[in-house]
Amino acid sequence: MIEQYLPALSTYAGDIDGVITLIAVLTGFWYVLCNIVFFGFIFRYRAKSGASEYITGEEKELKRWVTIPHLLVLVCDLFIIYGAVRVWVDVKQTLPEQPYATVRVVGQQWAWSFVHPGADGKLDTADDIKTVDDLHIVKDKPYIYELVARDVLHNFSVPVFRLKQDAIPGRVIKGWFTATDTGVYDIQCAEICGIGHGVMGARIHITTEEQHAAWIAENTPANLATAPAAPPERKPLAATALAAR
Amino acid sequence: MAFQEKRTAPAAAFGSALGLVLVAQLLFAVAAVAQDGQAQDRDAEAASGAELFQLCAQCHGEDGGGNKLYLAPAIAGLDEWYVEMQLNEFRNGYRGLHFDDIGGMRMRPMAMTLRSETELKNVAAYVAQMPKTSPAKTLEGDVDNGKQLYVLCGACHGQQAEGMEAQKAPALTHLDDWYLVEQLMKFKLGIRGTRPGDPYGVLMGPNSPMALTLKTDQSVRDVVAYILTLRAADHAAAK
Repeated sequence: MIEQYLPALSTYAGDIDGVITLIAVLTGFWYVLCNIVFFGFIFRYRAKSGASEYITGEEKELKRWVTIPHLLVLVCDLFIIYGAVRVWVDVKQTLPEQPYATVRVVGQQWAWSFVHPGADGKLDTADDIKTVDDLHIVKDKPYIYELVARDVLHNFSVPVFRLKQDAIPGRVIKGWFTATDTGVYDIQCAEICGIGHGVMGARIHITTEEQHAAWIAENTPANLATAPAAPPERKPLAATALAAR
Repeated sequence: MAFQEKRTAPAAAFGSALGLVLVAQLLFAVAAVAQDGQAQDRDAEAASGAELFQLCAQCHGEDGGGNKLYLAPAIAGLDEWYVEMQLNEFRNGYRGLHFDDIGGMRMRPMAMTLRSETELKNVAAYVAQMPKTSPAKTLEGDVDNGKQLYVLCGACHGQQAEGMEAQKAPALTHLDDWYLVEQLMKFKLGIRGTRPGDPYGVLMGPNSPMALTLKTDQSVRDVVAYILTLRAADHAAAK
């Protein structure tokens, strides 16, 4: 249902949508029911001529209007807790045993920067590819991310993955994702981090393995000296602003 | 009559709720139409430089005097063409897109908030007309050595560091010393001035005459210490 409005492009996006939907349906059911009962009572016990009866609510038959729904809500809570914990453990507490690669995600005021492993597939080697605003990954491959913050709290949010994870200065927080389709999608900061928080956006480029290999070859630092990458595509102003001078 | 009014209370509550929902939807629709209209009239409705500067002031200060804590240099009184050029450099990704450009990455999204060329020019003009500030000295250097090293810089920036638009070289006298050192180091390390397509940054890049002249960190501090001594001459010239 949610994916009709926002694509669900990670392997766990459907599970998270499921939990959100479960909570929405259960709480929605009780919300509607409570309002029906509430307005029903207002109508039934509306002011009438003559003395009104004072109701204390202490009688058994009256108390059950509270106790029975209370118990039923608790039963619903059990379903929500079961569903949420199951997804939480999968998304937040478990890392893939054989990840395709690890990428480092760095939050700072007010940009996301990324360290991609180069052709050797390992981080912190000479062929690492560092970018600002653009994260490049391969479709259908499990990735581990190492999330760090350079200054204040940030939150690495990829809406199409249904992924949100706080970035905390001084900590390296690990998580994972596996993209299920190709394309370019938004990354945003979901934790107030200063005056530029609202414009702290980036993009995730999900490509095929072949496209990713070509991107690595093109952007490996050793190759850049002779074949520089093209300037960034995002040019909100006329690109000729400088050339026009 | 009063009894009748009480009887209709639940219906009135439902009616009020429904009315609120309809009013909210109407407001959303009006807002959407207004927003669409705004997009078309951005140039016509561009904010003034003073309005736009309120965002800049958060880091650069109300007087444009800068704040090292925010990595924001003094900008008051910079040449209009230079402010405009640098805002475009940020917007086009020539600045603020390097992994190690911490300050640049703070500035780039701010430059991106300008919605049109008109707004960019407005804020540049506003910054240019602000009275220059004199940021405090924060480092020491050998002024005599700096003077010798500066001869090369003067070819573009002017012998009094007054800047030359024809060379796209800004005035330097009223910039913070820490900012000048930081930028020179960024140029030397290739953090600034190395983006492909950047027509002016490359003049100061890692292989530029500047980088070849200022070989050590101390030589960078020396030349900056000398540049600060030119501030007095700039004040005298202004009078």
